[in-house]
Amino acid sequence: MVGKDCVAIACDLRLGSQSLGVSNNFEKVFQYGHVFMGLTGLASDVLTVHENFRMKTNLYKMREEREIEPESMANLVSTSLYEKRFGPWFVGPIVAGINSKSGKPFVCAFDFIGCIDYAKDFVVSGTAADQLYGMCEGLYEPNLEPEDLFETISQALLNAADRDALSGWGAVVYVITKDKVTKRYLKSRQD
Amino acid sequence: MVGLSFDNYQRNQFLTQNGHNAPKATSTGTTIVGCKFKDGVVIAADTRATSGPIVADKNCEKLHRLAPKIWCAGAGTAADTEMVTQLISSNLELHSLSLNRQPRVISALQMLKQHLFKYQGHIGAYLIVAGVDSVGSHLFSIHAHGSTDIGYYQSLGSGSLAAMAVLERDWKQDMTREEAIKLCSNAIEAGIWNDLGSGSNVDICVMECGKDAQLYRNYLTPNIRETKAKSYKFKRGTTDVLKTSIYNLCEVNEDVTMVD
Amino acid sequence: MSTLASEYSNEVTHDVIEHRFNPYSDNGGTILGIAGEDFAVLAGDTRHTTGYSINSRYEPKVFNIGDDLLLTANGFQADGTALIKNFKNQLIQYHFNNDNKKMSIESSARLIQHLLYGKRFFPYYVHTILAGLDSEGKGSIYSFDPVGSYEREQCRAGGAAASLIMPFLDNQVNFKNQLDPETGNKKQLKYLKLEEVVELVRDAFSSATERHIHVGDGLEILIVTKEGVRTEYYPLKRD
Repeated sequence: MVGKDCVAIACDLRLGSQSLGVSNNFEKVFQYGHVFMGLTGLASDVLTVHENFRMKTNLYKMREEREIEPESMANLVSTSLYEKRFGPWFVGPIVAGINSKSGKPFVCAFDFIGCIDYAKDFVVSGTAADQLYGMCEGLYEPNLEPEDLFETISQALLNAADRDALSGWGAVVYVITKDKVTKRYLKSRQD
Repeated sequence: MVGLSFDNYQRNQFLTQNGHNAPKATSTGTTIVGCKFKDGVVIAADTRATSGPIVADKNCEKLHRLAPKIWCAGAGTAADTEMVTQLISSNLELHSLSLNRQPRVISALQMLKQHLFKYQGHIGAYLIVAGVDSVGSHLFSIHAHGSTDIGYYQSLGSGSLAAMAVLERDWKQDMTREEAIKLCSNAIEAGIWNDLGSGSNVDICVMECGKDAQLYRNYLTPNIRETKAKSYKFKRGTTDVLKTSIYNLCEVNEDVTMVD
Repeated sequence: MSTLASEYSNEVTHDVIEHRFNPYSDNGGTILGIAGEDFAVLAGDTRHTTGYSINSRYEPKVFNIGDDLLLTANGFQADGTALIKNFKNQLIQYHFNNDNKKMSIESSARLIQHLLYGKRFFPYYVHTILAGLDSEGKGSIYSFDPVGSYEREQCRAGGAAASLIMPFLDNQVNFKNQLDPETGNKKQLKYLKLEEVVELVRDAFSSATERHIHVGDGLEILIVTKEGVRTEYYPLKRD
């Protein structure tokens, strides 16, 4: 979700096999330099894809002698997913970050074969996507301060997750400003 | 690695057979049209991308640049239209560099159709290709299996019937630039209002002989959301937080000093 | 009987050819009911669809069925109207047999359960919501699954965009996951005023219209108070 000179990215903590909950500390948001990526979908692919991007962003950093920017990350994710067009990773990534040069907030989402969905307000992904769309579309307003953005994204995630049987079991929210990251664990229903 | 990888294909086949369902790909849904006029060609598209019945992107770009004066509107699987277009765009540039000539529309057409035919329709890209070159203006459409059509006006996508109704009713030979733009935007609007797979805004690209192509991004925006009846800003402290950690974003420099 | 040898004899298969008729379709649309202290609202969009086509931009699906009761059945429209027609006929019978006694919402809910369960093995393909005032004059919403399981609730969304609207309602009507910043305790539940509820309904529907292709065109809100039933109409986006 985009705010005033800030972005927020959040995920629940559930890892499950169908209706059986397996873990309540499976974080789905990963950090590459100052770019954040959330990954939903098949857990094994979430980890594989994450490790893959950890490698790619590290190689990028060595080659370019700087951290990757969110816009470049978006294109990297897109091409990496499309490379597997006929044997895709079952993941739904989201990229969020602030461009370190221009200071512009950036969020985008992808489908599992790498089509980029650029948005100026918010993007969602995962089993509770419908619920999240409803929440975000209802609650969101532009130019929120970091503290207000935190409340809005948290309420959106919490209430959406409560209406999805496959989501929940705790939540993490990152609020990202130009040079500071605030990571908060939320109290949520445990059923 | 060269080309597309099929590494996970068998695994996914197994996964889908065992109850894991594959995620849904974004489809453009889409109404796209193209129409020739006296000395040029214009293409237009709506801006809605859907994932099943849900609108994934309210303002996506379906007009892709193949070359400075060759543009293409895409319908079908969103990732495929985007990627096939980028690929052919690159190849077209290399082609024109090696020949030292401006690329021609038929080259783009041929490259696209051969690529799509090779993949036997599995690359779900339905395209309207238009542009101007040394020979004149051109308008083509390509289907995912590799077949192509030529015509003075074309429409594709889920809203193609609504759009074609307008094109068939209002098209005439040798229109002016303005008439063609109006016709195309009307056709797209027919799709926006009457086809559920299409919506939001109208994008237009005009390619005129001897002039630079002009892209009118959001030429019409008839679907701006009205302001909400209420603000849903929460009081700070509404959400229950268990644990907070704050850290700074900084680049880690690893300098190695040689000590002799 | 002897079989004549043929070039194609090994290709003759004996699969049974099945012809199937699917009696159901989905006409989209979404519905929403909220109960207040002394009122209840039942709202629905007015778009009627099949697949990617719009059949009508104004096809009301929330009805004032008499006795200050509101009823809607969203899903397959033919089943919805059949159910409501059925209910209305039962209501006429009830009035005739009971000296024109008003049917209470509790009785209506039970009657609807039986109408739905009566077709247990060929169900009405609908999500049903009933709204009205209970015997104490409090706003009341009853929601039913396609085969008649029902429950009284404070609020309920049904139909195509139910999954989009329902969490929003949890949050804004029942204040789920919200704390009171002053005390740090759960935010106190309170009845919303009618104007607040109407605002909430309008925003819920405009949000659903943005993100769901089967929702749009118009929003019709029926409001039942002790004064009777009143209807409000607001346009929605038509794309």
